[in-house]
Amino acid sequence: MIALLKRVGASVLVLGVVLVLNFFLFRIMPGDPLTSIVDPRFSPEAKAQLAAQWGLDRPMSEQFAVYIREMLSFRFGLSMMTGAPVWDELKTRVPNTVALLLPALILSTALGLSLGVKAALARGSIVERVVLLSGAVSFSFPSFFVQLILLLCFGYVWQVFPLRGTTSIPPPEGPLAILDYVWHIAMPLFSLVIMGFGGLALYIRNLMVKSLGEDYVLMARARGLPHGRVVWNHAFRSILPPVLTIFLLSLPGVVSGAVITETVFSLNGAGRFLLEATNSHDYPAAGAAFFLLALLTVVCNLLADLCYVIVDPRVRREGSRG
Amino acid sequence: MRRNLSAILLLVLLLLALLGPGAFGLNDGAQAPPFSKPSWLDGAIASTIVLDAMANGNSNSATAPLAWEHSAPIRVSVSGRLESGEIRWATPSGDFMLANTPGEVDLDARDIPFKRSLGISPFDSAPNILFPTRGEYALSLTGTGEVTMRIEGGRWGLLGTDHRGRDIAALFVRGIRVSLIVGIAATFIATLLGLSFGLLSGYAGGLTDALIMRAVDVLLSIPTLPILMVVTGIWGKGLWNLVVILSVFSWMGTARTVRAMTLSLRDAPWVEGLRALGARRNYILFRHLVPEALPLLLANVALGVPGAILSEAGLAFLGLSDPRVPSWGRMLHEAHTFGAFTNGAWWMILPPGLGICLICLIFMDIGRKLEERADPRLAQAARSGALKEAEV
Amino acid sequence: MSVMRDAVAIELKNLSVTYRGGEGGRTVHAVRDCSFSVARGDVLGIVGESGSGKSSVLMAIPRLLPASALVTGGIFCDGTEISSLDERGMGVWRWRRIALVPQSAMNSFTPHITIERHITEVLEHHMRTPRRDARERAEELLWTVRLDGSAGARYPHELSGGQKQRAALATALACGPDFLLADEPTTALDVITQKEVLDMTVSLVRERGMGLLLVTHDLPLAAGICDSLVVMREGAIVESGPSQQVASNPENDYTKLLIGAIRDMERPRGLEETPARKTRG
Repeated sequence: MIALLKRVGASVLVLGVVLVLNFFLFRIMPGDPLTSIVDPRFSPEAKAQLAAQWGLDRPMSEQFAVYIREMLSFRFGLSMMTGAPVWDELKTRVPNTVALLLPALILSTALGLSLGVKAALARGSIVERVVLLSGAVSFSFPSFFVQLILLLCFGYVWQVFPLRGTTSIPPPEGPLAILDYVWHIAMPLFSLVIMGFGGLALYIRNLMVKSLGEDYVLMARARGLPHGRVVWNHAFRSILPPVLTIFLLSLPGVVSGAVITETVFSLNGAGRFLLEATNSHDYPAAGAAFFLLALLTVVCNLLADLCYVIVDPRVRREGSRG
Repeated sequence: MRRNLSAILLLVLLLLALLGPGAFGLNDGAQAPPFSKPSWLDGAIASTIVLDAMANGNSNSATAPLAWEHSAPIRVSVSGRLESGEIRWATPSGDFMLANTPGEVDLDARDIPFKRSLGISPFDSAPNILFPTRGEYALSLTGTGEVTMRIEGGRWGLLGTDHRGRDIAALFVRGIRVSLIVGIAATFIATLLGLSFGLLSGYAGGLTDALIMRAVDVLLSIPTLPILMVVTGIWGKGLWNLVVILSVFSWMGTARTVRAMTLSLRDAPWVEGLRALGARRNYILFRHLVPEALPLLLANVALGVPGAILSEAGLAFLGLSDPRVPSWGRMLHEAHTFGAFTNGAWWMILPPGLGICLICLIFMDIGRKLEERADPRLAQAARSGALKEAEV
Repeated sequence: MSVMRDAVAIELKNLSVTYRGGEGGRTVHAVRDCSFSVARGDVLGIVGESGSGKSSVLMAIPRLLPASALVTGGIFCDGTEISSLDERGMGVWRWRRIALVPQSAMNSFTPHITIERHITEVLEHHMRTPRRDARERAEELLWTVRLDGSAGARYPHELSGGQKQRAALATALACGPDFLLADEPTTALDVITQKEVLDMTVSLVRERGMGLLLVTHDLPLAAGICDSLVVMREGAIVESGPSQQVASNPENDYTKLLIGAIRDMERPRGLEETPARKTRG
């Protein structure tokens, strides 16, 4: 329990550091933020007015206080590009990203899990070879290259799926809208699944091979328990803690990867929002997206620790790892 | 052969990177029409053909014949100098008079005055008029002067051209340099950082150790791709900026490993023996601990390179790299942004993409071999040490 | 060779076990042409040094040898040739009729499952016992092996080596099997616990009229407990017969050697092994 509280404390500390870094990163750059976004031909008065709008004329300490307030309240201030609250823009983008990533995660996890276990059970089979290959591919092939190839094949050569966008233009109405949406995210989804399952499958396969060789799995067989029960309740259940951990720790990377997927397929999601904000030097917006990702990372790390405690009785009973 | 395949491939890549595209007569500038296909592909389209016709005082005419077997080219241009007489273009279905006024000749099929002189509207395609069918053509010069006719048919070089008509093969060779520099330099610096912080942390202990390890925790909690995006956005897109940023955000793993290794070695009997013999800390560190750790670190460097290369490629693909430096990621970015898909220009995508995959696989392979070759006892010590670390 | 007391028996006919592709791709003949039988109510000891193939014989009966093992010959239980059954068919015989007490109970319980759950799991699966009754039965069984009530709720890592071994015995008895296979059930324990657990095992087996196959390297110990003995060397049976006869009047030179060697080795080995093993638990 105390160890857990310590972890929570450390997470809060990390978030604090990220918040502070986030604030200063955008302010230590050469020149003030305005020069990069405002036309240099603007009159000094206009510049001053803009500076006032974003509070850049206030003393640093006051700016910091405002910044912290905006961040912790999830309003994130005003976008420098649109002048609207960043949160309003994010609200329209995040659902698109979730709609892409959630099914991708579910599918690739299911695929990685079943193939990983199957590969461990059937050493030397085709399934195992597929798992080993896809694992190597997922570590050494850039995801966007694979996505570009898919785009070229299905979007250009066979023209089965659209080349870009989240919806058709103009968007259809009624039930067709859903179909249209599914049609648009099918290829990004597919690419995420085929690039995503390999690493997990390889990891699970390696752990399962070890676990299946344990004495207690042999004993579970000796007890005459059915095959499925031996594999899942005994062998797989005992590797669940590291599997859960690796899954949770990989989540932030998956979400960050949305930047690339959404760029390749020109999807209107939160990832591209971060890219657009960075490219147009929209610091409040970029800062917000960055902060949210850091928050996700910290929460996932914490959840990983928590899961270990919940799932592994050896840790649970002793209150700390090891 | 099989065993050394990676090393040989790496050497080839290094050589290519060192020599640069110039050594192969490849040029970075615009070469041919945009989106030209690789010249070994699709015989129905012509490669670039150059016809020369030169007539001096001795003979008052010159003819350059051409047997044309393709569909109409994309670009036609005629340049040179005409002192007297005229330049004609003979086609199977009739002759065209291209120029008859003495002076510099500089005609391009895209120019409106030229189209007018051929008697077609500015919206028509001049090459279609100049190359109506298959058959025998001839560029002839009566009088004196010299002219060159350049016929560009949409095929070029080994790998075709990009949206600006640049030779993909040249860009590809140039791109090796960026991947190698970023991959190796960033990982090398990161490993050095990791080594020094790890040694410091493991050997000094106490507050220093706590501070460094908390810094490691914080850095590990920052999502990599977004921070790279934000930081390149702020500090600029230069190549070396990228190297510095990448290394600053990737030394943590090495530091943890080195720290664990130092901790397990610090209390090893032979190190205690050295200490008892009066060896100073620096001596033990640099004469014994570092050399012990070196083979493993070398393997670490090789295994870290793919990550750095993929990060660089990812950033470049997002358009966050120096536009003046051609790199594989940049090539993919430009292919994606400037219509490789609407033109089906797969030759803009496959070479850089496969290049990235290849170089990553090479380094993974080399890294794995180095790891195996590195003292297995040490590798095991580091691993069990790392395990202890995770348990704390 | 063994005294028949009951019709129900495990019979091995010309059993051979060959491991393919061991180290360096060699084939290893672990068991050659072994035949013997053990009936309900019998206590049979299989004795031999390590590598003699005694464990392979034992694990061949419930068909739990690794996939690289090639088993030929017949294994019959109660008249059925169980050596020709598939994995599903074996499910009926395993535990319900033939239970196993493993070599090292240290690692024989699944780490994330409580001791009680191990017992109720087999009861629910084999006997279709309702959950509540199964729990009561588990408590009873643990009590039989002199583990107190709290032991059931514990996880394997929370028990000592001796406790685990007794829990393994309780689990083995859960479905009231006809035969108990015990593979060096006490090697991982200190000398005093060894004796205690072994005595408990044998008395429970005799009490219930079960058949016991005890694999051990300790001939004098086996002779003290078992009705009959089978001595193995390099995969083959070199001598078999009633314990008294084998122990006091061995025919085979190897058996003599084994008796002598163990007499010489007994004390130092006990002292040497115990502390090292203890740290694992």
